[in-house]
Amino acid sequence: MAQRIFTLTLAAVLLMGARLVAADDSLGKDLKATIALQGMPCDQLIASKRNGDSDYTATCKDGNRYHIFVNPQGRVIVQKM
Amino acid sequence: MRALALVGLLIAVSGCSSLKTSSPEAGSAQAAPPAAAPAPATPPPPSPPPAAPPPVAPAPVTPPPVAPAPVTPPPLAPAPVAAAPAVPASAAPPHAAAAPAKSPAAAHPVKQPGTSAAQSPANPPPPASPAAPAPAPAPPAAATASTLNLADLEQRLRETRAIGVFTKLSLKNQVDDLLKAFRALYRDPNKRPSAELRQRYDGLLLKVLSLLQDGDPPLAAAIASSREAIWGILADPEKFAKMDT
Repeated sequence: MAQRIFTLTLAAVLLMGARLVAADDSLGKDLKATIALQGMPCDQLIASKRNGDSDYTATCKDGNRYHIFVNPQGRVIVQKM
Repeated sequence: MRALALVGLLIAVSGCSSLKTSSPEAGSAQAAPPAAAPAPATPPPPSPPPAAPPPVAPAPVTPPPVAPAPVTPPPLAPAPVAAAPAVPASAAPPHAAAAPAKSPAAAHPVKQPGTSAAQSPANPPPPASPAAPAPAPAPPAAATASTLNLADLEQRLRETRAIGVFTKLSLKNQVDDLLKAFRALYRDPNKRPSAELRQRYDGLLLKVLSLLQDGDPPLAAAIASSREAIWGILADPEKFAKMDT
């Protein structure tokens, strides 16, 4: 019984982990596409940090860092840091 | 008497031997008799081969009819050629392509009856040629079918998962900026969109297509096929005003 519970728990944790990784991957793609749409360079996104609602800091492999957020007028702003 | 006895003995021995041979075979395995049967059967095939050669000769005789079949293909080739001239005449690539494709398709059914009556080897080549044109016409037909439905395209863009939220919002910002530029332009009723606006429109569409082509190819194709239709609305002040309201 205890073994079954352990197996189920492990499976749930792995599934949640996979979902988180997928969500993180899709967010990374979204941020990278947003940066590209604004005409700014980013060869590969290596890190992103959530500052708040619709507010992120993205770090690219080439060393560029961007502040990406939605301003009160509903526009997506990408600022180089 | 001795001779008779010898003959009788020989008959008895031969009979026993025949019985022995048959019985062991049947006893060992019933498959043996079939094997024996095939053996005699094989000899007959050798005899048919000799007969086959004559058919082979007739086969070469059939090739002449095959040659006539290739003769029929030429008519097919001329037909496409005729279609090709028609294309430049119409000067409408998609429609022209569709029309020629349809005409060859009609020509093929006509051919098929003749070819089916003739030889099967001749048939393969014609089907191959019709198969190639057939796929070509299909896409144009689909493209024309999905002419322009702005509301549908907008809904599909909103719902697609190929683009993230930030990207969608960013794209919407840029579309709004472009529409604002058109509104500003049409404040003067006699103005026409400049090449710069067309360039902005093309660039924006390229961005959308590049974002969609991997994640949502059908939507990308639908947008690509509607490219000129959308520009037709944007470039016409009346249509634009109607759409903008």
